[in-house]
Amino acid sequence: MQRKLIRIVSLILMVVSFIAYIAKAPAFPIASENLLPWSTWFFIFALANIILWQSVVKLLSFALMVIWFYAFAASIVPETSTATIDIGDIERTPEAFIEAGEIIFNGKGKCNTCHTLDPSAQPGRCPDLTDIGTRAATQQPGKAAKEYLIESTYEPHKFLVPGYGNIMPPVWKPPISLTELEIETVIAFLQSQGGEVDLTEFEPPVDIGSAEVVVEELPPLLTGDVERGKKVFVEGAKCIACHVVAGVEQPAGQTLDEGVEVVAAPDLTGIAGLNSLRYIEESVLLPNAQIVSGYGSITVKTGGATIQGTLVKQDNEKISVRVKDAAGNEEERTILLSELDPEPIEELADLTGEGYFWIQVTLADTGATVSGDLVEEDDENITLQVGGETQIVSKSNVKVQATLIDYDENVIVGELVSENEDEVTLIVDGEEQIIDTFDIDEGPTYSRAFGKRLVVTSPMPNNFPLLLSVSDMSDLLAYLASLTGATDAIAAEEAEATAE
Amino acid sequence: MYLTKHLNMSQSKNRLYFFLGLFVIYLLLTVATSFAQDQTDTEYRPFPLIGSRSAAWIAAQLHLLFGSFILGVPMFAVVIEFVGMKTKDKRYDKMAQEFIKLCMGAFSTTALMGGVLVFILIWCYPKVMNKLSGIFGPTMIFYVILFFGETFTLYLYSYGWDRMQGRVSKMWHLFLGVLLNVFGTAIMFVSNSWLTYQTSPAQMGPAPDHAAIPLHNEETGEFIGTLWQAVNNYTWMPVNIHRLIGNIAFGGAIVGAYAAFRFLVAKTKEDRAHYDWMGYTGNFIALCGLIPLPFAGYWLGREIYMFNNTMGINMMGSLFSWLFIIQAVMIGVLFIGANYYLWSGMTRIAGGEIYARFRPYMIAIIVISVAVWMTPRTLIMSPTEMAAMGGQNHPLVGPFGLMTAKNTVVNLIILTTFLSFLFYRRSGKTPTVGWRKAGNIVIAAIFGLAVAAIVTIGIVGFSVPTDFRVNVLTPVQVLVALAVMILVTVIDLIMYRKAMRSSEINWGQMTDRSQYVLILLAITFTSLMGLMGYARSGLREAWHIFGVMRDTSPDAHTPLLADAVNMIAVIIVIFFALVGFIFWLGLWGDKKKEGDPPVEAEAATGDD
Repeated sequence: MQRKLIRIVSLILMVVSFIAYIAKAPAFPIASENLLPWSTWFFIFALANIILWQSVVKLLSFALMVIWFYAFAASIVPETSTATIDIGDIERTPEAFIEAGEIIFNGKGKCNTCHTLDPSAQPGRCPDLTDIGTRAATQQPGKAAKEYLIESTYEPHKFLVPGYGNIMPPVWKPPISLTELEIETVIAFLQSQGGEVDLTEFEPPVDIGSAEVVVEELPPLLTGDVERGKKVFVEGAKCIACHVVAGVEQPAGQTLDEGVEVVAAPDLTGIAGLNSLRYIEESVLLPNAQIVSGYGSITVKTGGATIQGTLVKQDNEKISVRVKDAAGNEEERTILLSELDPEPIEELADLTGEGYFWIQVTLADTGATVSGDLVEEDDENITLQVGGETQIVSKSNVKVQATLIDYDENVIVGELVSENEDEVTLIVDGEEQIIDTFDIDEGPTYSRAFGKRLVVTSPMPNNFPLLLSVSDMSDLLAYLASLTGATDAIAAEEAEATAE
Repeated sequence: MYLTKHLNMSQSKNRLYFFLGLFVIYLLLTVATSFAQDQTDTEYRPFPLIGSRSAAWIAAQLHLLFGSFILGVPMFAVVIEFVGMKTKDKRYDKMAQEFIKLCMGAFSTTALMGGVLVFILIWCYPKVMNKLSGIFGPTMIFYVILFFGETFTLYLYSYGWDRMQGRVSKMWHLFLGVLLNVFGTAIMFVSNSWLTYQTSPAQMGPAPDHAAIPLHNEETGEFIGTLWQAVNNYTWMPVNIHRLIGNIAFGGAIVGAYAAFRFLVAKTKEDRAHYDWMGYTGNFIALCGLIPLPFAGYWLGREIYMFNNTMGINMMGSLFSWLFIIQAVMIGVLFIGANYYLWSGMTRIAGGEIYARFRPYMIAIIVISVAVWMTPRTLIMSPTEMAAMGGQNHPLVGPFGLMTAKNTVVNLIILTTFLSFLFYRRSGKTPTVGWRKAGNIVIAAIFGLAVAAIVTIGIVGFSVPTDFRVNVLTPVQVLVALAVMILVTVIDLIMYRKAMRSSEINWGQMTDRSQYVLILLAITFTSLMGLMGYARSGLREAWHIFGVMRDTSPDAHTPLLADAVNMIAVIIVIFFALVGFIFWLGLWGDKKKEGDPPVEAEAATGDD
């Protein structure tokens, strides 16, 4: 009797766990959430039934196990969906918006192509969005969470998370073309990541209707030939040496021009499905304009040593740089931003654009030295975060250090007092010294401040406009514009032998 | 008389069930056009609870699975009946009749599923049906006529089995079987035209490039072709052939599973022997279908590329690329399972053990080949992973992801499976011809040379232009494999024509494990059909008719592979539940008959 009971319970549990697995039910609702997934429960119970039962139920258990195995195998391979959702008459409730937003996040919006929702996952091209519902409130001083999310979706270029380039396309523009309502659902979904969903209606910062007209009015770009463009990609410009396009291979034995090094470059398989043609065009012509996270080159000095490599990751405290040693072996090094060596700054202009994040100045009026994180800058002032407070420093109220070399090869360093065509007046070791410009061999060079900065550049050669003819460039762009997620035709054709 | 009465009652019930199914399908098919035309204002209507797509998906896949079964089984029922007539071995005749009995239950279910499918399509997708029936209306009438033809032929074929014995009657009975297959195949061809048209609605242009000639006005979408042009679209004939072969394999596998089920629950030695033999025959037929199936798939793939390159790329390189890795897993299971079953079968033949020494090597070849076949071409990697691996392809395993490697191992798997069958055939037999040693050396040399040629072609394939590889090397590899199978079969047949049989096959002396393999093969075949159905249908992406009629419903997207396979899992469970019910009915009926008093006893009691 007891054995019979065990058998029946085991059978019921097997069926229940199979249904739960197929229906993607949440994990077994006892103990912690990390308790075994339904797939494992099913496996255990199916095995138990195979052992406990005879003939028919044994067969049934075995059959279910085979069916489960294929479903399980399919669930662990990479996959793609073109899912979208019709939200025309969506109910204005958090649940409905979150559900729709998630589908659009993973489908039409293509957000999941670059963003992750798992802090332990490999960093994507764009920031991880775990707990963005709460973190959004602290991303930009003075900006509420929803306000930040609205700006990030409509005008992603306005604020860039440190370490990430300006690569996110405005999602309301082609090719993604989300509607206002769709964007609202995505925002609701993002708010639900650790935060409260606020469905208060808002005025979009961009008038999508009129903006679309601007996009359409752009002159046609694609007059090139895709096939010829592919040849340029593979053989002419040899882009394939560094970039990945699924199904396209680098010709065996291909050599690169002298001085050009093979580096890991972004996968371009679906580039045209993610970014506008203008973005692609700009990336070819001006590689440094927007650099995909994880692919930029960086040179920093720390402890007097220069480190050069690929910037893998960055946050407010540290950076990770992938460097190569003399033997060609790669390793990832973490460098604290506080340990970077300060470098002299000649002109106090466009500090943010130059990549400075920390500045040290000596005030002319008091002689005090002030240093801190650069908060903002305008033509007249710079604002620093000093300790817990912000301090505004006038650009005209900083001591200027001058360095010059005379014809006797003496290096003279001092505080600049005045300067004209005939002479330069410096205070050197507390004494005023006037130097005739006739005696100066080199300089003077000025240093108005010291700063730490991160300059990320693209390792991609920037001379393609010179190397390629206009027609080659046009063909190349046409080819890149055809990469909407599909792979190379010929290589894929090879694969057809196993079709069905 | 009691038995006769019982049989008559059972047949009457069957007839009733049959006609009910027929009536439903007739009603729905004949009113489809007019009904759809009345509903042109409505594009879509939601199906309650599960949604329109899921409802149509389940009904269509179940209809297709049952349809495959009832088209595949009569093919070899006729062949086996013919063999039985020629060899005068009653076992063949009994088995063929038993297959057809299974078909009867499945036939009604197929018709009902077809009716349900039509109902769902008309209700949920009136505009699509309106468009399709506008183009294919005459073929739908033809379909109904063929359906009636098939139904009544099946009736005559099945119920006339016992009556139509004797040389002349048997010939007529066989003719009915052939006619049944003609009707069945024609029905499949007609319905294939509708669905292939949805995928490739264009006429094939003239050689050499066969550029697509549109059949619709590009501005309005209005159909401007002829009915025959719509029917004879790019993928129609490749799908016809692929399904025809696939049905044979699928039918064999399902019969094998049925036999395995009956073997496992059999109470007597005789039953075990009978169902063991039936399982072996089913598996053999499944293998016969399985071996040429990849070549038919290759043709279908090429036609898809010819129709629309992007569609082909989506299939093999993008949206469905990982689906083909799952497909490789399934086909790997099929070949490993089929070989295992053959090797198990040798244990029931005294003398078969002499070939056991080759097994480890054959297992190694098949497992390694399957592993190569499953190697993905490209991986989705982070920059760090890519840097760690030194590029997008692994330096050692990477080349195995290329098609030249995959084609090579497919041919090696096929040849190894053929060798397994050869060993099985030879088990327990000793050739009497004087040149047997030389014959064996020649066969070994043929195998050795063929393997060397296939591997060499595979290696050369890495360094030649793609066009040359696809158009020359791959076909040569296939031809080499086919030539080996034909040549060796001929030599072996001659060599063993008058062979001494050292022992008989001990039917029934099979392990239970081997029967589970037959079940595994049937489920895998079914899963594979579901998976490839998803690929074929998904290729259209957001189009009801590719490039002509856009899908604007909420389901206008291709679902994730995992979601699709979950749906397929649900369908397979329903399918096997229904098939299990039909099997159980067979078993139940047999039990009832076993429990009946003998006819002589009835006569003795004077019960009239």
